[in-house]
Formats: sequence, structure tokens, C-alpha cells
Amino acid sequence: MSVPAASLRSKTAVNGGLAVGLKRVLGPDHRMGYLFVTPIVLLVLSLVAYPFTYAIYLSMTHKLVGLPPIFVGFENYIRLTWDGFFQRAVVNSFIFTFGSVGFKLVLGVVMAIVLTSRIRWRSFWTGVLLIPWVAPTVVSALNFLWIFDGSLGVLNYLLVRVLRIMPQGVGWLSEPGTAMASVVAVNIWRGFPFFGISFLAGMKGIPAELYEAAAVDGATALHRFRHVTLPGIKNIMIIVVLLSTIWTFNDFQIVYILTKGGPGGTTMVMPVLAYETAFGAQRLGEAIAVALYLLPALAVTIMVLARYMRTARKR
Amino acid sequence: MKGARVSTVQTGLSYGVLVGLAIVVVFPFYWMTVTSFKNEEQMRSLVSMFWPRPLVGENYEQLLAKTDFLKWYANSATVAISSTLLATAVGTIGAYALARLRFLGRGFMASATLITYLVPPSILFIPLYAQMRSLGLANSLGGLIAAYPSFTVPFVTWLLMGYFESIPEELEEAAMIDGATRFGAFYRVVLPLSAPGVLAAGLYAFTQAWNEFLYALVFITDGKLRTLPVGLASFITGDVYGWGYLMAGAVLTTLPVIAAYIYLQKYMVDGLTAGSVKG
Repeated sequence: MSVPAASLRSKTAVNGGLAVGLKRVLGPDHRMGYLFVTPIVLLVLSLVAYPFTYAIYLSMTHKLVGLPPIFVGFENYIRLTWDGFFQRAVVNSFIFTFGSVGFKLVLGVVMAIVLTSRIRWRSFWTGVLLIPWVAPTVVSALNFLWIFDGSLGVLNYLLVRVLRIMPQGVGWLSEPGTAMASVVAVNIWRGFPFFGISFLAGMKGIPAELYEAAAVDGATALHRFRHVTLPGIKNIMIIVVLLSTIWTFNDFQIVYILTKGGPGGTTMVMPVLAYETAFGAQRLGEAIAVALYLLPALAVTIMVLARYMRTARKR
Repeated sequence: MKGARVSTVQTGLSYGVLVGLAIVVVFPFYWMTVTSFKNEEQMRSLVSMFWPRPLVGENYEQLLAKTDFLKWYANSATVAISSTLLATAVGTIGAYALARLRFLGRGFMASATLITYLVPPSILFIPLYAQMRSLGLANSLGGLIAAYPSFTVPFVTWLLMGYFESIPEELEEAAMIDGATRFGAFYRVVLPLSAPGVLAAGLYAFTQAWNEFLYALVFITDGKLRTLPVGLASFITGDVYGWGYLMAGAVLTTLPVIAAYIYLQKYMVDGLTAGSVKG
């Protein structure tokens, strides 16, 4: 709680001088300020900063569950660099991430455009299209596991028996040729509404006069989109793409539930490999090295993104 | 004349795209619900595919009677509600301080909170597990309640910082001119005005905690202590998937989230721009 000016004046000169000095250095609201942020600081230190630092240390050790760690420097990282299975997981992670984010971006723009066009029941449609974003991801992943099922799944039923465009069913998640595309499809399905709703919010912020001026100049719909809409939502697009890149790269649930990285490692992505190394093989040090391997890239992405998010708030 | 035709075509196209997207979005949930009312026989012989005849409730009976589902429901509720209350309380006062109060280090702390919010759980889950083990909190709901604020608190704080910044500062100044303390201005003026925002942030935090999977999977080894997402996923470890009761469980797991969402929808559509929503 800060001290109001009136009570300050009634105190002795020495006390008052000290309080005024503190106020000058620490800011006028420092008492209430520090009191209010203390819980956050404690939580962040104990639940994020400490584990994070500990993770960096553990990644430089041989650590088995239940045994004390043995320091080995960068050995885990060096070994991983030449490990074929790890290399493949890195490539898979990039395919999974950029394949998903690209389609989510396109679908998000489409979603925002149709939701701002002249339609009835706009909030109803918006609400429906947001469902994948709010539903529990585990539930959605289990739904798709069932839909994609090779023998009893409804996707094969639709394609083979109803639409008759395929002679026989496909084991979508169990065949190497279709597994990655299937998990990417589920990630797109789950994530595109976030792109759409964010772009929608951005488009609402574009002044109508800009569109009117463009119309007066005889701009076509495509021109208006390129020269008014896109510049208007550019910052939001950057933020959403970066956020989604981080989330998708670190997505664990969808791949874990649908394929566990299989068949034959074709969908093994880095978070699932980290999990398997830690809790399947019980090698914690190496598992954390898997999780932290791309930390420099992640750190740069987070810094850039945080900067964009802060400036977006200030406007 | 020509313009009108173009706009009719455009509107038609918009509806076409909307209906297409809506079908793709809704189908898995429709399919989940339909499956939950089918029996083994209907599923195995691919009969009455899109509407079960007869509708059977045996999956729900089996789920409640023969599995730990109700236990998991209680576990999920315990963990989600306690960590939400904690996150909302801590996040609200923290966000107010970071948004409004003037003190040394505020900018740094605001940035640190945002960065924390962006750190993905997939790089924290192993060290957090090690930490919980050494504290004796592994394999207990307490461990999850302690760990979930790592994502709910930065999220709630970041969300509410934006909310508090949007409340005109003049209101607090007026209250303080009338003799209120800084704390009084927060407690009597800002907090009541922000109640809808705080509630929305709390509900978001609740859905995140309710849906959380990775920490719950890693920390909990005792089958009776599982939360719903992990419990549901545990149904698929055997060779024989009980799709009927799995889908019945999925339906019941989704319901509280949908209820929260109906309240939240207007916030998602109106004020919240990129980065306010975490998934």
C-alpha cells in the first residue's frame, strides 16, 4: 500500500525525507507494486526460471531416473547431432510445423474474410468455427484416432462406401505414406480458428474510410485486400504466425495420441522423442538435450515475438 | 445491376465456404456423440452409421460403473479449480501492478512475464518432473496444482494487463482525490469494473488446466490419480479399444469446456487479439 501525501506530511522530517527519497528511486507506488508482484515473481522463479536453469544443467549430464547426475559437458548434444533418429525427428518437426502453419495461415485468412462478408448470424458462425480451438485437444485427437481408424473408421467408410472414390480403405495413421499428412491435418484443424479469430479482430480495427477511399479509386476486391486489408493486419499476422510456430513445434498431444511417432519413426517429432527418451528409455539428461537442442532458435523467436506483442498492446 | 449480381455471388460463395468449414469443424464432435450411443455390434458391422438405431446408453453405464472415470472427473475438477483460483488471484493483483503502478523494475517484470508465457511446456516438463519428485509431489494432485500456475499465471497476467490498461486512469485519480488510498482505488473502483474480465481470464485458465495433458501424463503414475485427458488417453493403450465408452467419456469431458466457452465467446470475438488466447 502506498502512503498518501497527507499522512506523509504529518510524519517527522527525517522519515518524510527518507520516504521521499525511496519514492524517487523506487517509484511512487513501489510499496503496493512490489507487494502485488511478489507472488508472480516467486511463482515464475520456482516454476519456470529454476526448472529452466536446472534443465540446462541436466542436459549436460548423464542422468538416469533416481540416480545422481554425472556431468559430461556437451556430450549429449554432440552425440545427438550425429544420431540419425534424432536428425530425422528434427526434419519431421520442421515438416510438421511449417506444413501446419502454412495451411493454418491460409485457412485463417479465408475464415476472417468470410466472417467479415455480408452474412447473417455472424456470431453464430464465428462461435461454431472456434470450437476446435476451445475443445480439449486430447478429445479432438482421440476423435480423429477413431475417424482415421483403418478398419472401422468413418473416413474410410465415407471414401469407399459412400463416395466410392477409393477401392479400399487406408490405414491413415499406420502407413508411412499418410501418417505425417494425417497428423498435420489434425493440427491444422485444431489451430486454424485461432488464426481466423485473430485476423478477424485485426480487420475490425481497419478504418472503413480506407476501404471507401479504395473503392472511390476504383480498386477491385483483390486490390482492396492486397493494399488495405493485408497491411492493416500485417502485425497481427506476424504475431500469430510466430506464436503458432512455437506452439506447433512444441505440440506433443496430437502426435503422441495419434501415432506416438510411428509408424517406423515417420511422425517422430522432437517433443515426443524427448518424452520417449525420458520416460521410455529413462535417460533424462539426453531427453532434456533433445528438448533444448533448438533453444537458441526458440529464444530468438520468443524475443522477436515478445517485442511485437508489446508494441501491439501499446497502440 | 452488375454490382448487385457480383455481391450476390460473393455472398453465396461466403456461405458455401462457411458451411464447408463448419461441417469439417463440427463433424468430429458429431461423430464422437453418435459413437457414444452405439453398441459394439453396430460399430463392428458398420450398420446405422450416421444415426444409431437403436440409441443405447450402455457405454455411459459401463464408463461410470466399470472405470475410474468419475474419480478422474473429480481429480480434474480439483486440480483445475484450485490452480485457477490461485492463478486468478495472483494474476489479477500482479497484472494491476504491472499495468498501472509506477515502481522500479516494472517494465522488466512485465517483459519477463510475457516471455514466461511464451516458454513452451515441452521444454519444462522434464525438469519440473524432477523438481516435483525431489519435493515429494510427484504422483499427487498437489504436484499438478503446484505446476499448473507455470502456464496459467503468466497467461492470466498478460491477459489482464491489457484489460487494466483499457480502464481510464481518470477513474482512479478521481477516487484518490476524493480521499481513497491507492489500494482503495484498486479495490473499490478498478476491481468491480474489471469483474467480467477477471471472470473471463479465470475461465480461460480453467479450460487450460482442464485440458492439460503433458504434465499430468508425466507426473501421475497411479491410475486412480489421473486427470480426465490422461485417463481418456489411457483407454487406448490396450489392443482392444472400447470406442463406445471412450467416446462417451470424451463427450462428458468436453461438456464443462463448452459451458465455459458459451460465456467466453463474446470476449474471444470482441476484444481479444492475437496472443491473448493460449492453446
